Amino acid sequence: MIRALGASYRYPGEGQVVAPVDLAIHASDVTALFGPNGSGKTTLGKLLAGILKPTSGRVEILGEDTRTLSLGRIGQRLGYLFQEPDRQIFTARVDEELALAQRLRGVPEDDVLGRVEEMLDRFRLEHLREAFPFDLSRGEKQRLALAAIMINRPPFLVLDEPTTALDVVRKAELSALLSQATEGGVGMLIISHDRSFVARHATRILELSRGEIVDDYSVR
Amino acid sequence: MTTPFVKGDYDPRSKLVLVLGLSSLAVVFDYPRILLPLALATVLCALYLRSGVLGSLVRMRRLLWVFLAMGIIQSVFTRGGQPLVELAGVALVTTTGLERGVSIILRIFIILVSAGIMTTSNPRDIIQGLYQWRIPYELAFMVAVAVRFLPLMREEAEDTLTALQLRGVRLEELPLRTRIRTYGYLLTPLIAGVLARARQMSLSVEMRGFRAYPRRTSHRTLVLDGRDYLLMIIALLLVSGAFVAHFRPGPL
Repeated sequence: MIRALGASYRYPGEGQVVAPVDLAIHASDVTALFGPNGSGKTTLGKLLAGILKPTSGRVEILGEDTRTLSLGRIGQRLGYLFQEPDRQIFTARVDEELALAQRLRGVPEDDVLGRVEEMLDRFRLEHLREAFPFDLSRGEKQRLALAAIMINRPPFLVLDEPTTALDVVRKAELSALLSQATEGGVGMLIISHDRSFVARHATRILELSRGEIVDDYSVR
Repeated sequence: MTTPFVKGDYDPRSKLVLVLGLSSLAVVFDYPRILLPLALATVLCALYLRSGVLGSLVRMRRLLWVFLAMGIIQSVFTRGGQPLVELAGVALVTTTGLERGVSIILRIFIILVSAGIMTTSNPRDIIQGLYQWRIPYELAFMVAVAVRFLPLMREEAEDTLTALQLRGVRLEELPLRTRIRTYGYLLTPLIAGVLARARQMSLSVEMRGFRAYPRRTSHRTLVLDGRDYLLMIIALLLVSGAFVAHFRPGPL
């Protein structure tokens, strides 16, 4: 699914954040990028997802160099859930939010409405369909953001710190939704420092420290 | 007596006079023939004051479409002058429309680049400078907060645009009208973010005793030196010169 070939990254005017890395992420795995704050997890995640372009080496998604892929084309190959749900909500109603990308992508309206109903039901957002998304709780916003990505039926998901600010109940709800997705054949890259969450979902763990992968092992 | 935090830096008040001058001219004048040299002067000032203008523009490159879209909207919907582009006898773009479109792009550019100059000052210095100018502390604090959050808002706007595209929306392939409408969606999370942050911050500063006393004292004081006065005089000459040149009788 994703291959890094000697890929490294440094922010302009700063030192190297991610040391050169050779790595293959498979669509059949649930891979976790695990490490403490500041270890470069999010930067490596964005590098692998093609949001950041490597300063040296290359990253390929489904065989294509991310330098040649626009963000829109990357979005057709994988879904990316940002840490902050508020930055990925665009409309004034929950159901419009779910339909937005589908409509912009030119999906026929009947199909859009059908998929919106499916997502409202699957992510338990039916009772909130007319709600103003910014009034939702953190957990509800998280579900909405995830549903708005899943409606595009991506074969692979990148989740950046998905459990941030979620309580035990909301975390369990999110876990159930992710398990449902993996059972449906969706591969994942989970960026997290939440050991229990990673242990529950990951089939492979990459441990990071100071921008370097210090351990890489399978857990099932 | 103290100097600004960054040694060798200008006093934030002198920068503020310059920024107010540049942005006021950008708001008052509506003609590319004035706005273009003004934009050049703004870039030169930003470079001289080390505001990292080029870096900012590179980082904002994906948002430049928004400004371009605004310019195109102005071009298409403003009538007057000679038709430049016609479709079935209907003028789509006129000389007045094009002039208005270019003007709006230049205006936004000048305001953003000049505002960037203020980000080179420490927010604490900005508050102190304004307070020493007898500006009420609450207002000075608001100005400093606005400056402090400009880079954060830019980062949020970029993240939001990235998030929208990562839903598989290929902006580069959308028809122009749909693309312009799509950029409108970016405003929702931006405004919501600003409101949420303002709410949190007002609560936070009140809890720390903001406005608890009618008068404030400060250990730090700023002193304007010769360079600061020179910068302010140049800024005032620039503004008054532009006004005189524009409003004097006879053709410009």
